Amino acid sequence: MAAPLYVTQSGRLWHAGLILIVTVGLPARGKTHISRALERYLRWLGVKTRVYSLGDYRRKVLGGAEHIPSDYFQTKSPRSEATNTLRRRIKNEIEDQIMDFFTVQGGQVVIYDANNGSVAQRKDCLQKFESKGVHVIFLESMCDQEDIITANIRSVKLSSPDYAGWDADKAVADYWSRIRDQAAVYDTVTADEGPFIKVMNVGERIEVNKIEGYLQTRCCFFLMNIHTRPRTIYFARSGQSLIEHSYKADSDLSPAGWEYAERLKAAVIARRKALREEKKARGEAVGDENNLLIWTSARRRAYHTAWPFVHAGYKVAQKPIMSEINPGVWDGLSTQEAMELYPDEWQRFEADPYAHRAPRAESYHDLSVRLESVIFELERCQDDLLIIGHASVIRCLLAYLVGLPPNEVPAVEIARGDLVEVTPASYGVISRAFHFWSGEGRGDAKGENLYENFAESTSGKGSVLPDSGVNFTADAQNMEREAEAEEAMDKEAKADQLAAAVKGRVLKRLGSSTDGTRSAPSSSLPGVEEQRDGEMEEERTTGSDGGYGETVSDNEGRTEGSARGRAMSILEI
Amino acid sequence: MSMPPPNVPSKGKSPQSGTPPTSQLGRSNSSSSSSNVPAPASAKTRSPKIKALTPNSLIADIKSQNPSDPDRHVAVDPHVLAEAVSKLDMIRSVPAPMSTVTSPAASAAASGASSPKLFGAGAGIGSGGAASTATTPGEGGRLSAPGTPHFGAQTALLRTLDETTRVLRQSSKAPSRAPSVSGIGAVIEKPDYSEAKIVVAMVGLPARGKSYLSNKLMRYLRWLEYNVEVFNVGQLRRSKARDQMQSGQGKVDHSATYFSHTDAKATRKRELLAEESLESLITWLKKEGNVGIMDATNSTFDRREWIQNRISKEPNLQLLFLESFCDDPQVIATNVALKVQSGDPDYKGMSREDAERDFRKRISEYERVYQTITEPEISYCRILNVGQRVTINRISGYLQSRIAFYLMNLHLKPRSIYLSRHGESMYNVEGKIGGDSDLSPNGWKYAQALPALIKDNIGDGPLEVWTSTLQRTQQTGSFLPFEKKTWKSLDELDAGVCDGMTYEEIEEKYPEDYESRDEDKFNYRYRGGESYRDVVVRLEPVIMELERQENILIIAHQAILRCLYAYFQARPQEELPYIKIPLHTLIKITPMAYGCHEERYPLPIEAVDTHRARPAKAKVASGNASVPEPEFIPDVGVKRDYFGNAHGIGLRPEAITQALENQVEKGQLTPKAASKEVEATEGDAK
Repeated sequence: MAAPLYVTQSGRLWHAGLILIVTVGLPARGKTHISRALERYLRWLGVKTRVYSLGDYRRKVLGGAEHIPSDYFQTKSPRSEATNTLRRRIKNEIEDQIMDFFTVQGGQVVIYDANNGSVAQRKDCLQKFESKGVHVIFLESMCDQEDIITANIRSVKLSSPDYAGWDADKAVADYWSRIRDQAAVYDTVTADEGPFIKVMNVGERIEVNKIEGYLQTRCCFFLMNIHTRPRTIYFARSGQSLIEHSYKADSDLSPAGWEYAERLKAAVIARRKALREEKKARGEAVGDENNLLIWTSARRRAYHTAWPFVHAGYKVAQKPIMSEINPGVWDGLSTQEAMELYPDEWQRFEADPYAHRAPRAESYHDLSVRLESVIFELERCQDDLLIIGHASVIRCLLAYLVGLPPNEVPAVEIARGDLVEVTPASYGVISRAFHFWSGEGRGDAKGENLYENFAESTSGKGSVLPDSGVNFTADAQNMEREAEAEEAMDKEAKADQLAAAVKGRVLKRLGSSTDGTRSAPSSSLPGVEEQRDGEMEEERTTGSDGGYGETVSDNEGRTEGSARGRAMSILEI
Repeated sequence: MSMPPPNVPSKGKSPQSGTPPTSQLGRSNSSSSSSNVPAPASAKTRSPKIKALTPNSLIADIKSQNPSDPDRHVAVDPHVLAEAVSKLDMIRSVPAPMSTVTSPAASAAASGASSPKLFGAGAGIGSGGAASTATTPGEGGRLSAPGTPHFGAQTALLRTLDETTRVLRQSSKAPSRAPSVSGIGAVIEKPDYSEAKIVVAMVGLPARGKSYLSNKLMRYLRWLEYNVEVFNVGQLRRSKARDQMQSGQGKVDHSATYFSHTDAKATRKRELLAEESLESLITWLKKEGNVGIMDATNSTFDRREWIQNRISKEPNLQLLFLESFCDDPQVIATNVALKVQSGDPDYKGMSREDAERDFRKRISEYERVYQTITEPEISYCRILNVGQRVTINRISGYLQSRIAFYLMNLHLKPRSIYLSRHGESMYNVEGKIGGDSDLSPNGWKYAQALPALIKDNIGDGPLEVWTSTLQRTQQTGSFLPFEKKTWKSLDELDAGVCDGMTYEEIEEKYPEDYESRDEDKFNYRYRGGESYRDVVVRLEPVIMELERQENILIIAHQAILRCLYAYFQARPQEELPYIKIPLHTLIKITPMAYGCHEERYPLPIEAVDTHRARPAKAKVASGNASVPEPEFIPDVGVKRDYFGNAHGIGLRPEAITQALENQVEKGQLTPKAASKEVEATEGDAK
């Protein structure tokens, strides 16, 4: 994935030279997390970047904990000569590989993931690389909250091969002792050592010294926005709309689209419940549930797909910058028509579906550039997030999160009716897909995924792309039944509530009034209050009228017929 | 072309023919039996995606609707519904419009200009993204220019779609629905920034560019629609001195003696003034502001601690210190010279030498006690020699990180930004908006004249040219011998369904929409297109990149240049969509200490006027009757605003007055006490 604004002849960006970012910090301070996140972002910017992890390399050379000499991490008393030689060997080997990446492979940024806890170590490293023309920056990761560290040990370190087969508590204790040993000889980076970025509690605070130039300041801005709070990001496509093939029409949802919207809400709720159960089963700490935020584009089909969430009081934000890829002059055309009307353009498009821009259209590259601010907001967001959007936008965002190469982006398969779940973890992200809907608008007669419009569609793009293209549809786990059950349950609960409320009201009315005449039950539909045709007021960024239950409870001012109508139409479904 | 003709159902070819004809709602309610509806046409090629809608399900429960219910919408007659559904199916199969308008080859030939080889390959944005569009006109890269797009507002399709959508919605059983929409666009509400409340306290010696930074930051954040004010202690001090003098109480001494740090009385006086300024800031921030910038020296640990303590009493306010540290003698000398030359009233009636001597003495008074920020616990951004180096500490939250990132991108190197619209285009001549048409013959003349004009201005200096991806800007830049970049973000505001129409057509077809756009043009988003606000959001990365660059020529479009111009010249949102950016005129903007210097070079090449003035009716409707049509006033905002009353820049005196009044109202400050304090202060000064 890449979104460079321009490229230079060397392939290196912004004339920023070669940069070695040396991580500094005690174990379990989120160094790896920060390194991987930064790598992902820099690669997305188009900078050739790689993380070299000393720990990974040591494990590769030596194997699991049982093969490590007992004094390998020892700091209080001198290590044996053999161990020191071994440590030196491993360090020199990895540093040779780093130089090779710069000089032979044309890399621009290396993130050297190691503890580098002493002034002497860092001085060595700085001198070694600066002498070869590489600009060295220290990236110190600090943490002053013990619970964050313990959580980090539990969630990351225990799954490390070092502790394969260990008892969890014993492993935690062992790891803490390793940290304490190192803390005794740890020196924090000071201003006279050279340029540094210090990150406290993964992005909570940041301090910068002698950081210059575009690439470095961008790194800082990025680091200011990241965090490690556990959260989950969901992606789902918008429901079927009345005029699928036109960008300009900005059409509303079809009846199937409205049903899809309801089912999506149920699926997300069901999935969040299931995820908690999974975590509990794995023995992970399950705290308070994160809030769920919903982002949609400002397109009607997307925002209206989020309508059930709006209705239920969730915070739904519309982001105009998340509109789908603009098909330009190809708007409203079929593949066939585009080929006939624009044969040359079509050829170029087929040759490079990522970078080709049809007249007045956006390429996927343009879209990636446009989405950069969303990526920052995505990194910054601490709550669980559901992004209801368009296949093209979801592809670009997933490509960033998962780390896909640009040419694969246009071919990522995401079916309408699949919920993609992305959980950021230390070494990247874990992504899974869940199939919750098979209704209208998901696939065609041949079982191929249907897309909103021609620019979104994968047709015509698959031929030049590798087979390895990510296919979330194919890998999706079925949860249709769960979603359906959740929706039914939800409706039943609301209907019960309503029935009770209405009954209460009727009794109250009977008690207080002798007027026996009442109008026949109305079937005015829920949501009608909000519906004022011709007035374009759906564009508010957030909205909530509290869900059905609440609507009834503060419904005193409304007409009884209307309240009963609501109850009825819900009960009928 | 083998497309299904409109209105003719092509049943046999329908990809849906193999699937059972039940629609979604058909499944959710199978009790309905109305089926005497014409079989819907299926859109063979373009819309295989939507199954034929059968209205069976949609008319469920109409019988049971209570006709006297006022909330109820029109009962949908089954036949009306059936008609709507078949109409919907029909419009899905309307073929792509064949265009004949402005063939590039034709217009290029008509211009008489040789079709220049356009840049694009290599000069485009990365990965060849731009290369493809840069086909030489006439080479047959495109068969024809795009004409009326599908669902453009020119056709009846859009209206039919809206009508059928409405019918379907009225009859839909979906349990919860968003309000219905129609037309060619809507006014979008401003995003809610009410939670963002930040005090930015400047730190730095005099002549270190504090006011420069605070003005710059204010312009940037205001452009992004945050409510920002600079509260400048110096302005407050001068205004008071002026008032005192005007009321006949004599001149106040604001020479270096006033700034002495050994004189306890003078020090206390200055502190009181700073406190007064901060109180107004807090009051304003709590009421309506997002970012209040306290422009004062705040040069000691004690002062900063005092500010911190004061702000910590306010639960929702964040505090960020912004230190401008300068040790480059040249930068300081420039700043000092600027100060004594620019007519600072502090030095009225003094010779330049005396003034400079006094000002340097004032600086040394501050230097004596100056303590650069070293406090580890505070949030700060420390800038060395404006952008040379930046240290940031304890930055938290979105807005703070944005501010820090912005400041990291600033520099002080002298440079100019040239703005030019593309030469007159065929669409301009025809009065149409949007499109991707070629230059008109006059437009080509402008393109040819542009290199000489640029050369006159910058000589052999370096220059980079940025264009949009549209033909007309690339053609306009095609004769310029400089490095070029094409930016997708510089493309013209997308008029969505109105693309390719004239204003008269829009007014005729959608009179109400046309009016509502004029009522709030900045916030009006075209259906399937953008609003001015959307454009500002997409231009933000361009601004960030622009700040890092040196000489730049941007060849873009009317709406785009209005937004960029508004950023540099600090024009408010309500004025922005009416800023005059005429065709065939080069605008040169040179950032100066207190704003931007502007020159305009109109070339004597005829062009149509594409400017639409704010309609008189809209002015009244939006209560903006007093807002004059923004005219080009050279050098607005270039001069330093010593009293805080210049238009658009600096402290607004009414804001301060208002803030003080609010304090008075809340009893935090009694008018008497306030005026007494001032009197006492000034009295002592005599």
